[in-house]
Amino acid sequence: MSLDSKSHRLPSYLEYRGKYKGILAWILSTDHKRIGLLYFYCMSTFALAGVVLGLLMKLELIAPGQTIMTAQTYNGLFTIHGLTMIFLFVIPGLIAIFGNFMLPIMIGARDVAFPKLNLFSWYLYLLGALTVLSSQFMGDGPPDTGWTFYAPYSLQTHTNVLAAVTGAFILGFSSILTGVNFVVTIHQMRAPGMGFFRMPLFSWALYGTAWIQLLATPVIGITFLMVVAERVFHIGFFDPTLGGDPLLYQHLFWIYSHPAVYIMILPAMGAITEIIPTFANRVVFGYKAIALSSLAIAFVGYFVWGHHMFTAGMSDTARWAFSLLTFLVAIPSAIKVFNWTATLYKGSIDLQPPFWWAMGFIFVFMIGGLSGLVLGSIATDVHLQDTAFVVAHFHYIVFGGTGFAFFAALHYWYPKMFGKVYNRRRANIGLLIFFIGFNCLYFPMFILGMMGMPRRYFDYLPEFHAWNIVSTIGSWILATGLIIIITNLLRARKGTPEEIDNPWNGRTLEWQIQSPPPLENFEEIPIITAGPYERHNTAE
Amino acid sequence: MKINLRFILLQCFFMIMSAPFWPLSSQTTPTKEPEIGIVEHLDAYLPDNLVFTDQDNKQVNLKYLINKPTVISFVYFRCPGICSPLMNGMAEAMDKNPDMVLGKDYQAITISFDPIETPDLALKKRANYLSRMKNPGEKNGWIFLTGDSTNIARATHAIGFNFKKAGNDYLHPGCIYMLSPKAKITRYLRGIYFLPFEFKLALIEASEGKSASTINKILIFCYNYDPAGQQYVLAVTKVTGSIILFFVLLLFITLLLRSRYKKIYS
Repeated sequence: MSLDSKSHRLPSYLEYRGKYKGILAWILSTDHKRIGLLYFYCMSTFALAGVVLGLLMKLELIAPGQTIMTAQTYNGLFTIHGLTMIFLFVIPGLIAIFGNFMLPIMIGARDVAFPKLNLFSWYLYLLGALTVLSSQFMGDGPPDTGWTFYAPYSLQTHTNVLAAVTGAFILGFSSILTGVNFVVTIHQMRAPGMGFFRMPLFSWALYGTAWIQLLATPVIGITFLMVVAERVFHIGFFDPTLGGDPLLYQHLFWIYSHPAVYIMILPAMGAITEIIPTFANRVVFGYKAIALSSLAIAFVGYFVWGHHMFTAGMSDTARWAFSLLTFLVAIPSAIKVFNWTATLYKGSIDLQPPFWWAMGFIFVFMIGGLSGLVLGSIATDVHLQDTAFVVAHFHYIVFGGTGFAFFAALHYWYPKMFGKVYNRRRANIGLLIFFIGFNCLYFPMFILGMMGMPRRYFDYLPEFHAWNIVSTIGSWILATGLIIIITNLLRARKGTPEEIDNPWNGRTLEWQIQSPPPLENFEEIPIITAGPYERHNTAE
Repeated sequence: MKINLRFILLQCFFMIMSAPFWPLSSQTTPTKEPEIGIVEHLDAYLPDNLVFTDQDNKQVNLKYLINKPTVISFVYFRCPGICSPLMNGMAEAMDKNPDMVLGKDYQAITISFDPIETPDLALKKRANYLSRMKNPGEKNGWIFLTGDSTNIARATHAIGFNFKKAGNDYLHPGCIYMLSPKAKITRYLRGIYFLPFEFKLALIEASEGKSASTINKILIFCYNYDPAGQQYVLAVTKVTGSIILFFVLLLFITLLLRSRYKKIYS
């Protein structure tokens, strides 16, 4: 079964001793797996900080009026919560962590195409992250614009928008460079015999994502530079009093930020597509349809940005065109969901934690996706724009989608990454509590939104009180689940290493090498003879 | 390959970094005056009932006179105010665009809006301005017209030039108008001094892409007319968007054309 089973075990990437020792062996390493873990540790830290910020916001909303913070603090809090979660965790999350770690192994390569560039991307990420976070401690107070930096307010507020925008700009470059790296890796470094249609579907998802990163991220980079230029040099791009156009900002911002949602969700879908065939013990249903739907989502996802602006003053033609396109993008997403379900049909299903996470993903992603259609239709959007409904929708997509897939991927690949096993029972309990907490936290927001509760206020009318209490309690349940999940994984990390090269009977290449993988993944580059989910897909 | 890609990446990086420092306008909108001033009728066509007399005392129909991109100005020849500076500005803008030949690539028409002025005076004025130009172009490149009050009223109304008589003189705005070969109004350039570059862009625009050279087509793609600032500005979004697409396409084509790395392994 294993490519290495006949040979001796090599020192793993964790044990390998190179030129440097200690922390230098990590921060100067160009090994894609170590870089993947560097991202993992940074992002986990930022994400946990983001969770704490979210919990504080929910605590503030437990009762009407001022509860634990002032309005301005709340404004600062939702801004940095959004910035941290979006720019530091969910956009780069699955790509930088699992993409870096798994992509080269999955396509039978020893590393990415440009290992040094890969490390440089991580440094840019760190620099960008620190710059964004420095906005909290320098200048005239934390930015209060929301993560969208809408003009003209972002040009007029006295808070420290400049640092946050500059940080996001740097993060954009990190993202672009990773995108270039992955595109070139996928084109140039596939193992012999691995045609495009023999790649695992996670690689396909990363491929689609990398193109979005290349095409869309420069737009936000330029937009943020324009904001900086306008704030510093008073060049009138967006501020009407300087002859600018605030709507232009929204267009430019969403031309990036909508595709960015697909940067978040495509790798998440890719990870789910790896997990489901493994635990159904079947070849994935509709391989080409799933692969091409990734590209279709990446492509159509470019032309739907206007649905964020239905009430911003666009022409009627633009509104219905964007609405129509938004409905179209649901088609490739649904193709994936149907194919996952069809893969399960007549499968021999093994109910392990990663599989439960994948099921949880499909459940919350469906709610998120369908509520997206409600917002994509103009008539209902006019009613729900800027209400808690929107907040619920995107947390179901971004947290429910990407977050669940992140944990699914983490539980799936954990034994491969660290060569250790976690307690599966505890993992399942953690997931159950997390799942209940998640729905308890965000589902009431759909109802609150329909009742008319606006988003981004630290206060609300008394009639919204009951559902807000449910939501806040949900946030505590979710946090409890999260603590169980994390402590379970941390305990496993400290446990004794085991020889578990393929605990789930996975068929893709990463399961056919030792856990944790050796420094260069493969002693000999495998020759691929069949599709990725076939039982014997490499030449002996 | 590695070096090439790095080079491309670097280029991308610097191009994008430098984008916001390209010049852009930030002027404010002037207020419109209904009685005296310009009411823009962009994309409107001139009517075909405008009959004037040219400097050689021939009757001409303005619409049929226009068969190439055309600059029109309204002045009166004995004006003590802005008419002469405007004519000088127009002559200078034409003079400083030697690559576009007056009378061949485009033409200029100056119309007197004072009905008492005669073709004789027009002839003298014309000789006066042409003599000062280094590139006067072909014969009859710049036509001077006079006409009766009915035709003047029709023409000024069609273009949106509002003026008022004050004693012996007139109160009137300063502006020149670009028309397409089919007599469609494509641009208003206000003021009495015209940047040669803007003048040229407006002319290329007036030609509606038909006779424009490639470089001119690129120019008109990269610059948009900003109605609020009343000048041509670099279309940052369009230009940077094209640059991004170009480099991404370049990367894609490079990857398609290159064979895979696997040779290294074998």
